[in-house]
Amino acid sequence: MKFKKQVSVLALTAGAAFGMSGTAGAWTLEEAAKPYAGTELEVLFLDRPGYAAAIKMLPEFEAATGIKVNQTTVPYENALGEQVRDFVAGGDIDIALIDLVWIGNFAENNWIVPIDTFTADPALTDPDLDLADFFPLTLNAFGGWNGKTYGLPFDNYSGLLFYNSCMLKDAGFDVPPATWQEVMDTYGPALTKDGKYAYALQSKRNETQSADSFARFLWPFGGSFLTADFKSNLNSPESQAGLQFRQDLMKFMPEGIVAYDHSEAVNALAQGDVAFITEWSAFYSTLASPETSTLGDCLAVAPEPTGPAGRKPALGGFSLAVAAQADDNEKAAGWLFIQWLTSKANAGTYLELGGVPARQSAYADPALAETYKFIPALVESWQEGVPEFRPRFAEWPSVTEVVQEWGTKMMLGEVSVEEGARTIGERMEGILSQAGYYDGKKPLAQ
Amino acid sequence: MTMRVPRRTLFAFIGPAVFALLLVGVVPLGFAVWRSFYYFNLTKLSESRFVGLDNYAFVLTDPVFWQAMGRTATLFAVAVPVQIFLGLTIALVLHRPGLGFFKVLARLSLVLPMATTYAVVGLLAQVMLNQKYGVINQMLGWIGIDPINFIGDPTNAFIGVIIWDIWQWTPFVALILLAGLSTVPPEIEEAAQLETKSNWVVLRHVQLPYLIPSLVAVLILRTADTLKLFDMPFTMTRGGPGSATEFIAILIERVGNRQFDIGMASAQSIIMLAITIALARLYIRFFYREV
Repeated sequence: MKFKKQVSVLALTAGAAFGMSGTAGAWTLEEAAKPYAGTELEVLFLDRPGYAAAIKMLPEFEAATGIKVNQTTVPYENALGEQVRDFVAGGDIDIALIDLVWIGNFAENNWIVPIDTFTADPALTDPDLDLADFFPLTLNAFGGWNGKTYGLPFDNYSGLLFYNSCMLKDAGFDVPPATWQEVMDTYGPALTKDGKYAYALQSKRNETQSADSFARFLWPFGGSFLTADFKSNLNSPESQAGLQFRQDLMKFMPEGIVAYDHSEAVNALAQGDVAFITEWSAFYSTLASPETSTLGDCLAVAPEPTGPAGRKPALGGFSLAVAAQADDNEKAAGWLFIQWLTSKANAGTYLELGGVPARQSAYADPALAETYKFIPALVESWQEGVPEFRPRFAEWPSVTEVVQEWGTKMMLGEVSVEEGARTIGERMEGILSQAGYYDGKKPLAQ
Repeated sequence: MTMRVPRRTLFAFIGPAVFALLLVGVVPLGFAVWRSFYYFNLTKLSESRFVGLDNYAFVLTDPVFWQAMGRTATLFAVAVPVQIFLGLTIALVLHRPGLGFFKVLARLSLVLPMATTYAVVGLLAQVMLNQKYGVINQMLGWIGIDPINFIGDPTNAFIGVIIWDIWQWTPFVALILLAGLSTVPPEIEEAAQLETKSNWVVLRHVQLPYLIPSLVAVLILRTADTLKLFDMPFTMTRGGPGSATEFIAILIERVGNRQFDIGMASAQSIIMLAITIALARLYIRFFYREV
């Protein structure tokens, strides 16, 4: 009897201890943030829907944690330069906003901190972080470099085919083009008439030329910027086929297409001047809004057409990472903010407010496709993308300037496709040689 | 009896201005000269090293640099003579006696283009020259001309920059020359006008000699402005399409701010400064005359 009583007491004590430790161990943002209340974080944002969504979510984070997030909105063209100068000068930025093509640059200069610094600390990391819930392509391409993860995907895009279903129907098409060859052979001729055009490909001489125009016609045709040993692949038969295809497709595009940036291409579709465009998913809200578009129910979305090498849609996006120059409190506070903003729990809110989360669980409800027509195409596109759609190494800022200049010259007919590709290839190899890729100083990572 | 001003008083009056000029002008210039002798890239600071004249050698043999200089020189050669011709015409009209209210209105409206920020001028141009929605093409349509592709065509984009530069700086030239015309002694002008009915003769023999200092000032200022022209073409075309409107300042900005190669951009800037100084000296040597 005495023994039974002792065992019962022991069991009760053990149970209580276990229960208490279970309660005490439950991670909450509020508890984790307590040591950092009053910390102020500095971050750059862009004037885009995803950032507007994040700004609306800030008060909730600040109320829960006492951590103040100060954001400064800059144009995309200034964001890289602002951050580079800030990091070089040891400035104020605590959270880095990283376009996928900047991650090599930022990581190699040790301007950002790998997330395993924080995930090793259970006090700072949400047990429900669940990195596997991110679309692998987005986590790898937007936040990863050379085997390490630095940032969590925040502002996420895929290239999608936005089209005017009414224009297509009037021309006898019930479905959008599935392949680029269909665009060239069937849709292009049928839809280019009476002052209207089939397709607008934004090709302005800035990152738009490199990402939206040049790269878009390399990968689906089996081409690429570089070979496995980092030599130019732009004069391969596949790359040449893609770039020549782009050249030939220009007859179905509005005059002056080389001067078109995103706003011109989106506006051309929105005003009924072109039948379809391939643009970033973020422009869905602009095309769907009656204030900025005449499309109404005629707006439809599909994945980008496939080429001979399959579907390789344009890939773009930004991650948020902790800046190395931040002090310890700011680093911890920054990590709490980043994982909160990109968490599974907040993905639905972010989507409702106009953002595009990279969480697979956010798109699990099929009913969402009724409200957000772009979701099925987006989810499908993120299964097939190429992380090195544009090389993400530190030399990309120099390489993209060459691509922008000669890519537009090709389109203007100032140089042939072969000659333009050769020039880009030679200059690109010159940049990579100077950087040390060919003598083993740097790993062949892109 | 003349009073000597003490040195301390002199320094007290001009010292602050000189100090400000040194800080804002000379120190950054010195830094640029120093950096031009280095490989100095903001994204590769660990590879910074002294390279001597390598940056200069590269720039002086770089076809991209000279093509940009060529475009800038073409812009200058076309735009500035037109600005001087139109500016002189406006100045001569405003210099005539009478036309009181018109002159007041004209002087006010001349200020507007100059007062508009360069970047806004470029944005205005981008919108007004839009092939489909721009007001310029709409007005051309009223007289039966098909829409012109201004921004997307290399030649038209270049012409567009020239037109917008003329629009913005002709009033400046007109006001400088108008001030120059006001230095012509009225009795000499009246006497000349009594001697001949030809306005050209009066202009050539009486007014032009007094306009030489103003013309030289206009040439120097417009040369410097054209060589450093950036905001308007950048917002209008970003140097495109292709490289059609990539002037020298846009090239330097691209190298310095987008490729982050500060050493190379410094070398380009110093070479540009040397060219500007050389041109200014030439103007003063060959054109300037004391009246």
